[in-house]
Amino acid sequence: MHTRRSFLKSTAWGGALSSTVPAFLAATFDHLHAENSDRDVAPATGKDSPVLVVIQLAGGNDGLNTVVPLGNDHYHKARPKLGLEPKTIRKIRDDVGFHPALRGFEELHDEGRLAIVQSVGYPNPNRSHFRSTDIWMTATDSDRFSNVGWIGRYFDNACAGGPATVGVAVGRQSPLAFAAKHPRGIALENPESFRFTDLDGGADNQAKGSGSFYRQMNSSFDDAPLGDPANAGGSVAMLGGTHSQTSGGSPLDFLERTALDAQVSSDQIREIANRFRNASPYPASKLANDLRLVARLIAGGLGTRVYYLSQGGYDTHTNQTGAHQRLLGVLGDAMVAFVKDLKALGQSDRVLVMTFSEFGRRVAENGNAGTDHGAAAPLFLAGTRVRAGWHGKPPILDPTSLHNGDLRHSTDFRSVYASILEQWLRTDPRPILGTTFPTLPLVA
Amino acid sequence: MLAELPASRWNPAAATHLLNRAGFGGTADEVSELARKPAREAVRSLVAKGTAVNPQKPPSWAHPDPDRAARLKAFREASPQERERLQREQRQTQRARMVELEGWWLDRMVRGADPLREKLTLFWHGHFATSAVKVRDAYLMWRQNDLFRRHGLGPWRTLLREVTLDPAMLIWLDQAQSRPPKPNENYARELMELFVLGEGRFSERDVTELARSLTGWTLDRLRQEPIYRPRLHDPGVKSVLGAEGRLGLDDILDVLTSRPDSDQWITGKLWTFFAGTAPGAELQQSLARCFKEQGRTIGPFLETLLISEAFHAPEVVGQRIKSPTELLVMACRQLGRPLPAPAVCANSLRLLGQDLFHPPNVKGWEGGVAWINANTLLNRHNLALLLVTGENPLPTTPRKGTPSAPRTRRGRPAATAPVDLAELLPKTDRTSAERILEILNNRFLDARISAKSRKVLGDYLSAQADLDSQELLGLLRLTLCLPEYQLC
Repeated sequence: MHTRRSFLKSTAWGGALSSTVPAFLAATFDHLHAENSDRDVAPATGKDSPVLVVIQLAGGNDGLNTVVPLGNDHYHKARPKLGLEPKTIRKIRDDVGFHPALRGFEELHDEGRLAIVQSVGYPNPNRSHFRSTDIWMTATDSDRFSNVGWIGRYFDNACAGGPATVGVAVGRQSPLAFAAKHPRGIALENPESFRFTDLDGGADNQAKGSGSFYRQMNSSFDDAPLGDPANAGGSVAMLGGTHSQTSGGSPLDFLERTALDAQVSSDQIREIANRFRNASPYPASKLANDLRLVARLIAGGLGTRVYYLSQGGYDTHTNQTGAHQRLLGVLGDAMVAFVKDLKALGQSDRVLVMTFSEFGRRVAENGNAGTDHGAAAPLFLAGTRVRAGWHGKPPILDPTSLHNGDLRHSTDFRSVYASILEQWLRTDPRPILGTTFPTLPLVA
Repeated sequence: MLAELPASRWNPAAATHLLNRAGFGGTADEVSELARKPAREAVRSLVAKGTAVNPQKPPSWAHPDPDRAARLKAFREASPQERERLQREQRQTQRARMVELEGWWLDRMVRGADPLREKLTLFWHGHFATSAVKVRDAYLMWRQNDLFRRHGLGPWRTLLREVTLDPAMLIWLDQAQSRPPKPNENYARELMELFVLGEGRFSERDVTELARSLTGWTLDRLRQEPIYRPRLHDPGVKSVLGAEGRLGLDDILDVLTSRPDSDQWITGKLWTFFAGTAPGAELQQSLARCFKEQGRTIGPFLETLLISEAFHAPEVVGQRIKSPTELLVMACRQLGRPLPAPAVCANSLRLLGQDLFHPPNVKGWEGGVAWINANTLLNRHNLALLLVTGENPLPTTPRKGTPSAPRTRRGRPAATAPVDLAELLPKTDRTSAERILEILNNRFLDARISAKSRKVLGDYLSAQADLDSQELLGLLRLTLCLPEYQLC
């Protein structure tokens, strides 16, 4: 007979529990399921639930040379060297176009799969990479500090009892955005190596080999209370955010919990990665590779709600032109390949991509054909279900309207978060963001 | 002042802690030798090793390039295709040298005569985090590394001046290209935010004014030396952190290092690195006061830190997560094995999240619990296999152009030799499971094994039909995967 517990087990993450999961773990999951059924809240971890893919542009992307104003004298006056030639720009409207390298964005735009939110920022902007990254990742006011990330709070509020893989950061580090009261989310770089290799170089399930004792070792956590507020997993990627070392739980508890997460998710992820293949080609770049892996994991039905990726190198203080050209080319090409692959895999309707960067750059170029740290900048959403086109107000470049040489924001980044939480992840943004932010119609 | 560790608590366990944190761990003999000295003398012997001779000579290329002028000329005169070829060659050379440099430094940590200096160099590398990705010159990266070694224990102001004019730093944070009237803000900002004061302790105006003050200092690219070019200096009046005048580099260093914020910032950083936890408010005040009273010199301050009662408190001892570099170096020392080949070490450390000479950003590595996630922990467990058996289960994804690790016929990357079991666990010591576990507990876990871990290892031993080398290697590997092994 199907009890609610066994039903949840077989649907929510049943497919992910391979036969190699030891009995104690199955018991652990049973316990979790019981917890959930008691609360009568089904966590949003089914195979059909929406997925958010966040791409961090680390270093501060120059928004003005990404979405370029056309026929604007202030722009060319402020940027005699870096100002882009109007004829090279990928014109979208009479007054605005994309950087020439953004053929990917142009394609997404033309297909109605790209939303551009203009002039995104926050009050009292901070020009520190590290502080501003923390602000974006924790979704706090710029004068307030938090050691819990906005995605972590989403996990706490809407995915209680979900598996560790509810959040997957591609790379060696887990971002502060994932840090939660009840830490969840894993970092993953290469599914083939995401496992414990036994002495003979093979699998880890012989009875006498060290592998089975490794499993026993990592079982030490199973009778500890789950959801113990141990140290969260926030850390540095390229700009992973400032991790607070003072949150509760001993380092040993934290290590034990992470070892258990690693072992369980390693089984799931290898199983999926071995079964699923991408359906269309990707360009050669690290970001494209990371997105290729994400597409496989999505198609494989990993119960992940948020994937997190990072593209570094946007801190263009000197000789910006070539570097920025290369970065945006990689970004646009990787995103368009990802959206195509998802379409071919039959997954595109449940995936939304969002980019962000800790700040834009100064309107005026500096003396080294580069730009210094700035403030507001555009942000992009891609997918088949975005409400494509322009959101928010265009930036005003008139020097009298600038604040210390920086663009003023007109849309708070937390309005974008609130809209995504409400319209895409279908959860109440208030407990996650602490207060109400006006939303934009970002999802069709 | 900071309370000193009472003499009654100075013992082999305290000496073990000291050797773990002030260096890369000690053998049983080193521990008992240190513990026999009075505590103050013991600490001093670690901090003042400076004159001891290291077995390692600098890499053969660690000097200014004598053919640089000719090389630059050839490059200027080359055809576009030729230029591309030269560039490619140069990149390959530099990348190979970076791998060599990483191996060279790790070797100093494992075998060098002055482990504290290497540990402190590792701290400064994280504090003044500079990446070869942008500097792209192994000689300059070596030079900065050596600067930390030479000045790391000296006066704080001197170190800051050296770092400010260090060629790798001049390139990394764009000071080399900063010119009036629009100076580059990159170095000025990070100098205050990350190196000396901390975020929120200066204004945006201080950033631009400080950048103006530093103009004139740039890089002589031919001689690979810093140079002051008066005509590139903005001679006007500036105002930085309340000081006003025709400020230049030395005025700025005086202004910065005499601020109480600066005493707090750098001592807090040093404490966090060596103790593994951030200092509380009261301790922070004491640390800053000590530093100021000791003339803001790092060596004497470190002595005070290492001998303080707070540094030997139970919440500090054995509670710090080893960085990947510490894990690798300490494991090699404990296992009595040589370091794997430089390319293997470089690959391993990158996978564990500490790519030496390539920090993720100018803030360096976050450290602490940020070292640990599902991915890096699995890689730690697989590094343990590599170090114990010599087999390399880690994926080799070398940075483009770097020499990859050698491979065996089976196609698996061959790392290195297995540990010498006869040396590590002599047959005469393999009398009982209890005895074996005792040896491992003392040697690898500073006698801090948990009951659960002891049971896992015991169960493993009793499941084996006999205890031959394969089984013992398995046991060693499991020991290195224990959660308590990640701490020291």
